[in-house]
Amino acid sequence: MITVTINRKKIELEKPVTILKAAGMAGIEIPTLCNHEMLEAYGGCRLCLVEIEKMPRLQTSCTQYVTDGMVVWTETERVVEARKAMLEFLLINHALDCPYCDKAGECDLQDMVAKYGPTTGRFAEGKRRHPESFEDPIIVRNMERCISCTRCVRMCSKVQGAYAISMVNRSNKTFVEPFSGGKYDCEYCGNCLTVCPVGAIMSRMHRHAYRPWLIEKEVDTVCSFCGVGCSMVLQVRGNSIVRAVPKKGAGSNKGLLCNRGRFGYDYVGSSGRLDSPMIKRDGKFQRASWSEAFTFIADRLKKIKDENGGSSIAGIASGRCTNEDGYVFQKFMRAVLGSNNIDSVASFGYAQAQRFFEGIFGQGVTANSMRGIPNSDGVFVVGGDPTAVNPVLGLQIRAASGKGVPVVAAGYMPGLMIFATSRLIPRPFTETALLSALVTELRDIKGISGKGPFDILINDIPSVSLGEAEEVCGIPSEDMRSAVDALSRMTNPSIVIGRDILQQPEGQACLLLLAALISLLNSRIYLLSELPNEQGLVDMGCLPDMLPGGRHLSVESFRRRYEEFFGVDIPSNPGMGIMEMIEAAHDKRIKALHVMGEDLVYNMPDSAYVKAALSKLDFLVVHDIFMTETAQLADVVIPSLSWAEKEGSYTNLERKMQLVRKAVEGKGMEEWRAVSEISKLLGFDMDYKSSVDIMTEIANVSPLHKDIAYADMAGGECMWPYKGEPLRHGMSLEGIEMPDKGSLLKKPEKDRIYIGIDKPLFHFENLSRNSAALSSIAPEPYMNVGKALADSLSLAGGDSVSVSTGTGSLKLSVQVDPDVPENSIMVPDNFGDKGAYTIMKWKMNSAIKAPVADATGVTIKKIKRAAEEVAV
Amino acid sequence: MEKFLLRNIENPNSTDINEYIKAGGYKALLKAVEMKPADIVSEVRKSGLRGRGGAGFPTGMKWAFASADPKKPRYMLCNADEGEPGTFKDRPILEKNPHLLIEGMIISGYALEAEYGYIYIRGEYPAAKDILDAAIKQAHEKGYLGDNVSGKGVRFHLYVHQGAGAYICGEETALIESLEGKRGQPRIKPPFPVNEGFLSKPTIINNVETLANIPYIIEIGADAYAEIGSPDCPGPKLYSVSGHVKRPGVYELPMGITLREIIYDHCGGIRGDKKLKAVIPGGISTPILPADAIDCPMDFVNMPKHGSMLGSGAVMVFDETVDLVKVCYRAIKFFEHESCGKCTPCREGVGWMRAILERISGGSGTAEDIDLLIEVSNNITGKTFCPLGDGAAMVVQNFVKNFRSEFEEKIH
Amino acid sequence: MLSENAVKEIGLIRNKYHDAQSSLLPALYVVQKEHGWLSPEALKEVGEILNVPKAEVKGVSTFYAMFRHRPIGRHLIQLCTNVACMIMGSESLLNILKERYGLEPNGTTGDGRFSLVVMECIGACGTAPAMLVDTDFHDNLTEERIVNILEKYK
Repeated sequence: MITVTINRKKIELEKPVTILKAAGMAGIEIPTLCNHEMLEAYGGCRLCLVEIEKMPRLQTSCTQYVTDGMVVWTETERVVEARKAMLEFLLINHALDCPYCDKAGECDLQDMVAKYGPTTGRFAEGKRRHPESFEDPIIVRNMERCISCTRCVRMCSKVQGAYAISMVNRSNKTFVEPFSGGKYDCEYCGNCLTVCPVGAIMSRMHRHAYRPWLIEKEVDTVCSFCGVGCSMVLQVRGNSIVRAVPKKGAGSNKGLLCNRGRFGYDYVGSSGRLDSPMIKRDGKFQRASWSEAFTFIADRLKKIKDENGGSSIAGIASGRCTNEDGYVFQKFMRAVLGSNNIDSVASFGYAQAQRFFEGIFGQGVTANSMRGIPNSDGVFVVGGDPTAVNPVLGLQIRAASGKGVPVVAAGYMPGLMIFATSRLIPRPFTETALLSALVTELRDIKGISGKGPFDILINDIPSVSLGEAEEVCGIPSEDMRSAVDALSRMTNPSIVIGRDILQQPEGQACLLLLAALISLLNSRIYLLSELPNEQGLVDMGCLPDMLPGGRHLSVESFRRRYEEFFGVDIPSNPGMGIMEMIEAAHDKRIKALHVMGEDLVYNMPDSAYVKAALSKLDFLVVHDIFMTETAQLADVVIPSLSWAEKEGSYTNLERKMQLVRKAVEGKGMEEWRAVSEISKLLGFDMDYKSSVDIMTEIANVSPLHKDIAYADMAGGECMWPYKGEPLRHGMSLEGIEMPDKGSLLKKPEKDRIYIGIDKPLFHFENLSRNSAALSSIAPEPYMNVGKALADSLSLAGGDSVSVSTGTGSLKLSVQVDPDVPENSIMVPDNFGDKGAYTIMKWKMNSAIKAPVADATGVTIKKIKRAAEEVAV
Repeated sequence: MEKFLLRNIENPNSTDINEYIKAGGYKALLKAVEMKPADIVSEVRKSGLRGRGGAGFPTGMKWAFASADPKKPRYMLCNADEGEPGTFKDRPILEKNPHLLIEGMIISGYALEAEYGYIYIRGEYPAAKDILDAAIKQAHEKGYLGDNVSGKGVRFHLYVHQGAGAYICGEETALIESLEGKRGQPRIKPPFPVNEGFLSKPTIINNVETLANIPYIIEIGADAYAEIGSPDCPGPKLYSVSGHVKRPGVYELPMGITLREIIYDHCGGIRGDKKLKAVIPGGISTPILPADAIDCPMDFVNMPKHGSMLGSGAVMVFDETVDLVKVCYRAIKFFEHESCGKCTPCREGVGWMRAILERISGGSGTAEDIDLLIEVSNNITGKTFCPLGDGAAMVVQNFVKNFRSEFEEKIH
Repeated sequence: MLSENAVKEIGLIRNKYHDAQSSLLPALYVVQKEHGWLSPEALKEVGEILNVPKAEVKGVSTFYAMFRHRPIGRHLIQLCTNVACMIMGSESLLNILKERYGLEPNGTTGDGRFSLVVMECIGACGTAPAMLVDTDFHDNLTEERIVNILEKYK
C-alpha cells in the first residue's frame, strides 16, 4: 500500500500511479494541456508542475509516479507562478482570436489563462504567422493557435494508427502538418479533434455553426454506423444535431470515434428526408395521411392473406432498426400475417456465421468484449477489413499490434497492412486452400485435444500441404509457414471474421475450416458486423426459423411459449430466407413484401434482378427515411425515423445491449409504431405506448432477455447473457458437409478478372450518400486494382475506366493498391446506381443461404488518363 | 605529461590500423578479452573515470547499472554528437585516432556483453564519418570486430550512424530517439537507457573521449589511472581552446589544471597581448567567468565551487574587444535554433530571450528589458524537460550577473 | 524516383539495424547525396522502402537542420556563425558572399552554383571561422581565402 499526501489529503493506492492520476482520484484537479487519458504521458506543456517535498525542482505530475510517503503540493505560490509563466510562454505564439475561434468556451487554454494566467502578455514582438489551411474538406488547421502539445499527433499515430499527421520542423517553428501540407490523406476519424485542447485542429463541418454555450441539450446515445455501437453524445440546438462527440471513457470505444460516427450524422437533417406517407396511385406517389396509408396497407395485406395465405407474404427487416422495431415486426409477420417469411441482410454473413459457430461451440460463443483483443496473444483476421467495417474494433487490432502481439491478416485489408506481422493475400475465392493448409499444419503441431464429435470432424478435414495451397492461392509457402509459426505460439488468440468469407462458392467449407482453427487455437471469436443491430435482428427473431431469444421455432415448447403469449398460432415451418424471397417474388410465389428500412435494390447483388422481382409483386410496403430506389418501387411508403429521432436499443457485435436515445424530433414514425397501427387495423391489438412497453414485453417472453430493462442498458455494460440463462449448450454438427480435397483446392478461372466488394471506411450502405460530410471525403466510386493487373491494362492511379459485365457497366476512377488480390478488382457498393452490386450476379450458396456475388467476364476499358500532375 | 588520447596523432598515417598497432594499439583489447567482463566493469569503476560528455557521471556506475539488467541484446553507443559550441575535443580522436575509439568500444562492448555498437556522429563531421567507416573496415579485416573478436569467440559489431544537425541529440535519450529514426526529442526518464534504451533494450552511452580512456585504464590499470590529475575525477582530459588565444587547439592535460595555466601556459596567452575580458570554460552552456576568476581547477568537482562548470572542457576566450551582449545574443540564438520544441518554456521562452537580446544588442532595448530578460530566464529555469532550456537560461543569467554594465551600456 | 543504386544502398544500410526505422536518417542521406535535397516524392519513397509512414518521415526529416527540403545549388556552403566563428570574423565572410555572389543565407546564386546555409557550431572553433563546402572542410577563413576556396567549386 502506498500512501501519498496531496494538499494535505491522504490518498492510499494499491500500485504506483502518476501524481496527476492520484490527484484525480482524490478529486484534486491539476491543469494540463499535453496529458490526455487516451494517450501516453508526454511531459511537454509543463502546466502540471507540482511541488514535492524533499525535491528541489518542481516536477511534472503527469510523469512523476507517487512513492510511499510522498508529500505533494499542487497550488503553492511557487506552483501557481510557474503555471502563470508557462501560460505566458504559450500565449507568445498563440493567436488571441478567441472572439471568432470556434473553440472559445471549451478551450482548455482559455480556461487555464482565466484561472492562472497573466492578464496581459509582455512579449512585444510579432507572433508567428501561419495562415489557416482550408485545403481539406473536413479539417481546418490553424497553426497560429497550436501549442505543440502533440496530442493530435500522438492520437493519430499511437492510437488511431493512421500516421496522417506529424510535427514538422523544430523549436518554435514546429507545427502539425499532414504529409501533403494541405489536404489530409487520412481516415478522418476526427480523434485529433477530441484531443486538441485549443482551436488548432477544428472540424470544418461545424465551423462557426454554433458556440458551445448555445448547445441546448446533449443526448447520450450510441452510433448507428456499424455493429460496434460506439457511445457518443449528440449535441443539439434548435432541433438539429450540431455535433457528434465521443463520451469520455464511455462504452467500448472509450472516447474514440470513426469518421462515419463523427461526421456522418448530417443525413438526419438532409432535405431529402421523407416527411409524409406516400401512396402510389396510377404509378405516381401521392401524399397521404397516416390513417389513409395504414388503412390502405391493412386492406391490401388482408386481401392477399385471405386469397393466398400468410406464406405468400414476406417481410424484410433491417439492422438499422432497433430491437423494439425488430421484435414488433416479427410478431406482426408471425402472429398477424401468419408467415415465417422474415429475414434481413444479416443473413448474408453475420447471422449465418454466428449460427454455424454457435452450433459447434454453444450459444454466446461470439459474445466477447472488443477490449479483449489487445489483451490476447495473437490475432487472426479474415473475411474483411475490420478497420473499415468496424473501425473502432479495427483499432483494437492495431493496439494489439502496437503492443507487439502478432497479427495474421488473411485477405485484402488495407487498414491493417502495416500492422500485420503476416500478410496472406490469397487469389480470389481460394481462401479454402489457405485455411485448409493452416488447419493441416496446426493440426499436426497442436494435436487434437479431445475426442468430441467436432474433434473427429477436424481430423477428417483433408490434409492440404503448404505447397498444394501455394499453387492454388498463390501465397508463398514460406509466408504461410511463418504465419503457422506465429499461430502455433498463440495460446489465447482472437479470431476476427468478416462476412466476405461466407460469400463465396465454398463459404461453408470456409466456416468449417475457421471453426477448426478456432478449436485448435482455443480462440475467441469476433464477427464483424456492418449494421448497428445485426445481432438484434438475430436476437429478436427476424429470421425465418428463429424466435426471439435465439431458439428454433421447431422447438415445440419454445414456439408454444410465444403462441400462448401472442394468443395465436405460429406456423411451425421455417419461412423463406431473404434470397429465396427475391427469387420467390420473381416467380410470383410471394405476392406481398413488407420492407422495414432496407434498400434491397442497392444493398443486394444484381440490382436489375432485384428490381424486376420487386416489380412483380402485387404489393410492396417500404418503411424508410429516404425515397430509396426500393421505396420508389413500393405501393406505399411510410416515412420512418432515423436513429437520432427515436428511443430504443441496439445489440452490438459484442452482444452488448445499448440504448439509442432521441435527440431531435423527426417527421416520420417509428417502425414499431407504424407496424402496430397496421396490426390494429388487421384486428390484432398491439398497444405499445413507447419502446419501453416493448422491451418490457421482450423481457417477459424471451428467456434470453429475462427481466431486462432500459436501466440495465443505461450503464453501458449490459453484456450477454444479460440476466437470462444461456439456452443451449450441446453441439449440433447436423448438416455440416465435409468438403473434399478437390473443392478445397479449386483454382480461380484463368484469364478471368474477379470483382470483390470493397468496404470503404467513408461509406455506409447507401445511406452515406445523403451525408454531405462523408460524400465530401469520398465523392466518387472507384476501383482498387493490384499493381500487376494495372500494369497489364496500362492503368495508373486517377485514370478513368469503364468496368463492364454482362449485367451492366460502371465508370470508375482507378486506385492502384499493391495488396489487391491477383486478377481482381475491388469496387464499393455504396454509390447507388454506381455501386458494384449493380453489375454483379449472385448465386445462392444453398448450404448457408448466403449469396455468392460475382460477375463473370469483367472487362475493363480505359476512358481517360489521369490529368498530368502539376509539379509543386 | 605523456599523451595518451592524442598519442600518435602527429603521424600523418595515424588512422591506419598498422600504424596504430605499431604504436601499441589494440594491446589493451587483447588484455581485456583475457579478463572477465565483470572484472573490467569493476576496474573502470575503480579508476574513478567520469563521463567526458559534460555531466561527469561516473562511468563505472553507469556500466554497473547496465550490467545488472538481464535483458538482451544490449547496445553500446558512442556519443560522438559533439555539438556544444566551442567544443571540438573529440574531433582529433575521430579524425586522427579512430582506432583508439574503436578499441575502447570493443572493450566496453565485451565488458557489458553488448554485441552491437553504434557510433552516433554529428552530421557536421562528414570527414570523420568516412575515416571511422574505413577504420572499422580495417578492424574487421584484422579480426578485432565481428563474430569472433581476436579469436576469443566474442561478438562485437560496430556501425557508424550519422546525425543530421541537431544539438539536442547530444542528450542521450534524444540521441537514442534519433538513432531509432525519430525526431530527436528527449524521452521521459525513468526508464533510463541502461534499462530501456535503444529499441527498448539496455543501452550504454558514453562519450568519445570517455571511451577513448578505456584502453588506457586497461593498459595501466585502475590504480595507476586514478593517480592522474584530480583525486575526485582523475585521468587525462582534452581541453579545446578557442577564441583570442595565441595557440588555440585541443590539449591533452591532466584533470584539474587551472584555467589560467591552460590559457597562459599552454595556449600562449591572449592574442596580440590584449587584455582578457572573459572566459567560458566548458562550452557555451557553462557560466561565463570574468577575467579575474580564472584561477580555478578545471575538473567536474571544483569548477562549480568557482561559479562555473567543466562541461565539455571547451574553453572560449574573449579579449577586451569582444561585445559580450552580442555573444550572449548569438548564444541564445543558437539555443533557440536547437530547442527541440517539446516543452513550453524552452520552445517559447528561449525565443523570447533571443528577441529581448536582439533588441538590446541592436540598441533598441529599454531600461526594463534587462529585468524582463532575467525574469523570463527565471521562468525557464527548473521547469524544462531537459537541460537544454535550463542551459540557455543559465547563459543569460550569468552574462547579466557578471557583465551587467555591458548590457546597460547598450540601453540609451 | 530513387536510382537502383540508392535503393540497393538503403537495403544494405537496413541490415545494420534490428529495426527498419533506425535506418531512416542514413537512408535520407543516401537520397540527399543523390538528389541534393529531399523532395516529397523521395520522402514518400524512402518511407515505402522502410515501411515508415510518410508523414512520420516528413516529421523526422524536417527536425534535422542538415536535411534540405528545397532544391539547392550545385555546391552547398555551410558557414558557421556561432560564437567562436563570430568573434573571429564570420560576419565579414557573410558580407563577402553577399557582395561577391549575391548570396544570402538560405539562398542560391542565380546560376545555381552555390547555396548558402548558416550553420551552428561545426566544431572548428580553434581554427575559426570555418565552413563546409559540400563535405569539404575549410577553416582559418579570411575574406580573401574564402573567395579563393570557392573559386575551385564550379
